[in-house]
Amino acid sequence: MNLENFLIFSGIIFSIGLYGALSKKNVITVLMSIELMFNGVNIALIAFSRYVVPQRIAADPVAAEAEVARALAEGTALGETVLSTLLTGQVFAIFIITIAAAEVALGLGIVIAMYRNRETVDVTQANLMRG
Amino acid sequence: MTLHDLYLLSPELSLASLGMVVIILDMVLRRKGVLAAVSVVGLLAPLAFSISLWGDLSGEPDGQMVGIFNTLVVDKFSLFFKFLVMGIVALVVMSSVEYVSRLRQFQGEYYGLMLFSASGMMLLAATTDLISTYVALELTTLPLVALAAFLRDSRSTEAGIKFLLLSAMSSAVLLYGMTLTYGFTGTTQLVEIFERLGASLDATVPFGSHALFLGVIMIVAGFGFKIAAVPFQMWVPDVYEGAPTPITAYLSVASKAAGFAIILRVFYIGFGEISLDWAALFAVLSAVSMTVGNLVAIAQKNIKRMLAYSTIAHAGFLMVGVASIAARVPVGETTLGPSGVLFYLVAYAVTNLAAFFAIIAISNRTGSDMISSFAGMGRRAPFLAIILAFAIVSLLGIPPTAGFMGKLYMFSAAMKSDLAWLVVVGVVNSAISAYYYLKVIRVMYMVDPEGEEKIHVAYAPQAALYITALGILALGIFPGPLMTVAEKAVAVLFR
Amino acid sequence: MLEDYFRQYGLIAIFTAIAVILPGSLLVVSWLLSFLRIRPSKPNDVKRSPYECGMELIGDRWPQFNFRYYMFAILFVVFDVETIFIYPWAVQFKQLGFFAFAEMLVFILILVIGWAYAWNHKALEWR
Repeated sequence: MNLENFLIFSGIIFSIGLYGALSKKNVITVLMSIELMFNGVNIALIAFSRYVVPQRIAADPVAAEAEVARALAEGTALGETVLSTLLTGQVFAIFIITIAAAEVALGLGIVIAMYRNRETVDVTQANLMRG
Repeated sequence: MTLHDLYLLSPELSLASLGMVVIILDMVLRRKGVLAAVSVVGLLAPLAFSISLWGDLSGEPDGQMVGIFNTLVVDKFSLFFKFLVMGIVALVVMSSVEYVSRLRQFQGEYYGLMLFSASGMMLLAATTDLISTYVALELTTLPLVALAAFLRDSRSTEAGIKFLLLSAMSSAVLLYGMTLTYGFTGTTQLVEIFERLGASLDATVPFGSHALFLGVIMIVAGFGFKIAAVPFQMWVPDVYEGAPTPITAYLSVASKAAGFAIILRVFYIGFGEISLDWAALFAVLSAVSMTVGNLVAIAQKNIKRMLAYSTIAHAGFLMVGVASIAARVPVGETTLGPSGVLFYLVAYAVTNLAAFFAIIAISNRTGSDMISSFAGMGRRAPFLAIILAFAIVSLLGIPPTAGFMGKLYMFSAAMKSDLAWLVVVGVVNSAISAYYYLKVIRVMYMVDPEGEEKIHVAYAPQAALYITALGILALGIFPGPLMTVAEKAVAVLFR
Repeated sequence: MLEDYFRQYGLIAIFTAIAVILPGSLLVVSWLLSFLRIRPSKPNDVKRSPYECGMELIGDRWPQFNFRYYMFAILFVVFDVETIFIYPWAVQFKQLGFFAFAEMLVFILILVIGWAYAWNHKALEWR
């Protein structure tokens, strides 16, 4: 496995999500498609964080390794070590997952209000305002 | 993470805590009138922290304090936007007192969500890392979505669901762009992105690399959505029409200010090496936004929809300043583009807020947002009509108003960066906009009113109206002091 | 060694083939027999139903859930996903020290406020 496979996979997932978000009628399905887009991004992020070695570490891998070992042994905070640069992509992915959950929760809340008003969750029916 | 980091974050933290306090007070208290007062008075805490931080900056050699693992910076640029956002929040809260008092429930949530969103905007102007940029962006947007759907009737929920779906989609696109940038440079820190781009660019490819080409365009699309630039503007008219009117006012100025703050920071600091490429992109977007916004606004009958298209056009005017980058400007006058953006944002904030506050006060009584329902307001509500007319004159850009000075700075920055064609487009567009702006003034003064009943304004909204109207006049006559501050603020973008 | 390894997959392939061929061939045989008039064809309602015995089927495949269900779904999604922050913190608990512990307490406190808010607004009751 190499980086390209992951990126192509993430691109496919992202595109499927984008297609679904633009073409589906049911709000819940659109939300699911958007979730798929976020997951495509997450795959790319994790792949990058695994394969793209930060230049600081590539320049001097021995020193970087020693720094990580020291940090783990002495319990220094992660922000000050090479570890934090290695984990950037994964941390980004964690934030995306949680915020996407908040987005979905808000979306479901509005969908409930919308359903109470009109008994439908079809986005093509959301057309009161034009012009 | 240390206590000093917490101090750097204190304005945002105190603002978010204020939001929580307001919501908790709403559960406890019976008298809801206190909530607005608590929200406005409570703003003194973040204000005090911000002033204290501004004072501490003078002791720093490079004019900035970096904290929380280099993800947050306190400099004059971020503090400028903190003050602007706090001012806007205070004014919008004052003007929505009457509107909110008619809501049967969730009055505390209304103010609380507004304050949460404001803390996101303040954070957005202060982030120096793509991860925290994204978190701050969503902290800004999600409360606004909830507020857009706040009335829970058909129109409001429709506005909310459209806003949510489109903003989530644009966030996903933005994130893909950020991910590509991260993959290309191996870092999410703006300063490090700048350093690493310098070594690894290929001059024969647009944007220096295919990955960046795609990444930067996706980032522009994501941010373009937040500032309502064409072709990412489809949500604007519907959300503006369906959302509660004070929220529309808030959305049109505050979220736009925060969007431009992060655009300036990401592009001037992070992508400084490829500035000529993205400046061309912004110049084109600017011309398209101005033209589309103004042409579609002509056909509008609802004043909120008309101002929605006008806000798209103003996003276009603001992007003129973003496109006027330092690379093409002679030495010594490098900061006019971005500092002009900052000035224009303040000018646009006071102008648009004045217009919206007058509209809120009038439509609270008439119960309609149609332009035709403003007939004869020159007689029924002389005070409101004169302020609305004055704000419209400023939106149009006629001296002696803030809007005129803003456009003047924008266009002179563009002239200095060889963007004469953009100035021509801008001037033509200002002329087009006169048609639909002056239509409102004509309806107010030349058409006979539907009724004779006078319209009175409550005390707090009246104060907000006075402040904004004075702001328009003051910035139009004495733009110098604000411009000096703006120039100091944008100095951090050029290092 | 490697051949042994792939031989394991060979076994799985054989099982898969049998699992497909056996029921498939039975269907084909039954279909062929119907031409010879050996297999009778006398359909009735009970025979046509998806399950010949057990519970009666109610409604069709895509019933609408009661939308109150979504209230619980929302709360579940939010609180469930927030725990993702607790995992990395728990793994590195000793190295991160007291300040991170305090931060996590603040984080959980914010979640508790949200939960108390939901409770106060009767979101946890099935009305």
